Amino acid sequence: MDDQQQARFPTAHPSRRLRRRELLERAAQLGVALPALSALGAACGGGSGSSASSAGSTASAPPTGTAVLLNYDGWMGKSTMAEFRTAYPGAGLKQASLSSISSGAIVPALKANLRTYDAALGDEAAVGQGLAADVIQQLDWSKIPNIKNVDTKFRQAFPHGIPTDYGKTGIGYRADLVSEDITSWADVWNLAEKYSNKIVFIDLDRDCIGSALKYKGHSVNSTNQAELDEALQDLITIKPHLQALKSYNIGAGLVKGTSVIAMDWDYDVALAQAENPNIKWVLPTEGASAYLEGFFAVKDTPHLDVLEAFFNFFLEPKQYGDFVNTTGTAFVSNAATPYIKPSIKNNPALIVDPATLANVEFENYLGEATAAYTKLWDEFKSA
Amino acid sequence: MRLRSWGRGLLVLPTVVWMLAFFAIPLGMVILYSFSTISLVTYNISFGWTLANYRQIHDPIYFDALTRSLLLSISTTFGCLLLGFPLAYFISRQPRRAQRLLLVAVIVPFWSSFIVRTYAIVNLLDTGGPLQDLLHGLHITSGPLNLLYTPKGIAIGIIYAYLPLMVLPIYVSLERIDYALIDAANDLGANARRTFRRVTVPLAMPGVVVGCIIVGIPALGEYVIPQILGGDKTLMLGTAISDQFATGNWPFGSAIAVALMVAMAAALLVARLAQRREPA
Repeated sequence: MDDQQQARFPTAHPSRRLRRRELLERAAQLGVALPALSALGAACGGGSGSSASSAGSTASAPPTGTAVLLNYDGWMGKSTMAEFRTAYPGAGLKQASLSSISSGAIVPALKANLRTYDAALGDEAAVGQGLAADVIQQLDWSKIPNIKNVDTKFRQAFPHGIPTDYGKTGIGYRADLVSEDITSWADVWNLAEKYSNKIVFIDLDRDCIGSALKYKGHSVNSTNQAELDEALQDLITIKPHLQALKSYNIGAGLVKGTSVIAMDWDYDVALAQAENPNIKWVLPTEGASAYLEGFFAVKDTPHLDVLEAFFNFFLEPKQYGDFVNTTGTAFVSNAATPYIKPSIKNNPALIVDPATLANVEFENYLGEATAAYTKLWDEFKSA
Repeated sequence: MRLRSWGRGLLVLPTVVWMLAFFAIPLGMVILYSFSTISLVTYNISFGWTLANYRQIHDPIYFDALTRSLLLSISTTFGCLLLGFPLAYFISRQPRRAQRLLLVAVIVPFWSSFIVRTYAIVNLLDTGGPLQDLLHGLHITSGPLNLLYTPKGIAIGIIYAYLPLMVLPIYVSLERIDYALIDAANDLGANARRTFRRVTVPLAMPGVVVGCIIVGIPALGEYVIPQILGGDKTLMLGTAISDQFATGNWPFGSAIAVALMVAMAAALLVARLAQRREPA
């Protein structure tokens, strides 16, 4: 399987790819898409040729071999893989994906398939889980000088790999179909009966339970059983009014109007807004759960040199800009801002500012308490 | 002679190797895992031959999931039978050429991916979709259809996906009926309804049983359709197994899978015994 053959992959966010493709097609029609950015990048000396020379100055020998990266389907810059192969002729990267959308599935997959994967994409919770399971390889940061391009706060929060993207779980709603202003999780619960069967929640335990915990002012990483029980009751209360639990295409319902309120990720709402400007993004006043994702190397990988070269290449402003433009995600490297489309870098849902960061809480690894979340999730679905 | 028998043995060797590698050994591993324990922190497994995973199935959450899955399986199998028998009967009574064409029409959906077909139903059942337009046009319903993300939507999806598996074995049974028996029944004074009930249906029973088995068993563990068409709001047994494996709890996932297999085997045994007791 090569980077073009990710069909089995899932999925964490299949909607990202469909929407992205549509956006790129439209941009291409206007003649303003990636070619212009590529030309700009080349003019600024950020092309692949400079990448190779840059890497050459930091590595004793050019990396060789092919590493396997466990990644979400389509979660890569449009031209990143091809340009990496050009920059490092002896090195390659294959992508593989999981059938599950949960970040909690990554480490079990790595542990069950030792020597199959060399690197993976995961959030902070997955990295914590990976450290506990002893599957994380520490990196030689002297070979990844472009880590300096990542904003310090994200670098410090994700020290065992390279941060790639950041996201929040908030609320998207149709301002033209919902007569009330929604500003909080409490509004969602209060309006549930009125908009019964028009509300969609995220089909992932940590995001959904985390939002219910925030609704009552608790931490999204709570391990207090009483607080978890309260969150379960709140979820059971709203369940009869939920149209569906979805982990992809959440924004599509908002665009069509078949759903009017959705618990959704910021990037997905931003993509939906591009199709329907009546969709509003809300960072709830009680706060929201957030994730910080990144690539990390798997312990004892024989292709560490390839991975370090790729990680460094990926963090070049031009390459990282390609990744952000392709995925539509909130970004963690301000150095790449000149390469990022205005529709992304100026979108209020995706802007990373101190006020926003103060109102979100990152999901952490919970150790033994993870099982309590799984059980609670099953109880919610079984209710 | 000995060489010929050796050659015959070679012919089945690929199948034996295939079945061993992709059925017997994985099945043995699943059974083995179901008696093991795992640390959900380190994901290290220890094979201590514990029954704890099986005891956990008695938790009302998973017992309810089993009940729901059984009810869904039974109702959708019955739905397939209700639609499949008349269709198979109709096809079997057509001229040979028409039969071939109709059978191709039954099989055509299998030419496309199962997932693609299921997503196609999403568009069909969605509020404002073509089914709603049709029903509104025929003045059968008014207002939003509200079929998608409901148990009815799941049932429609499963019946649509599995109907050919019911039609084909029943057709084979009906097509093999010696119509001299029908004529004999008519000659002996049985009317059409009585002939159908006393001759056609009993002779089609082997096909009905096979159809019910090959529809009912996969429907029991179905998790893709409930996720896509049911909005994943309800825990089904297939979903529970998938979730446990995805989050690394292979022992518990294996125990649910083994319990499901035992339940299926028991159902097959009962069906087999019932068939044997039927008068020839």
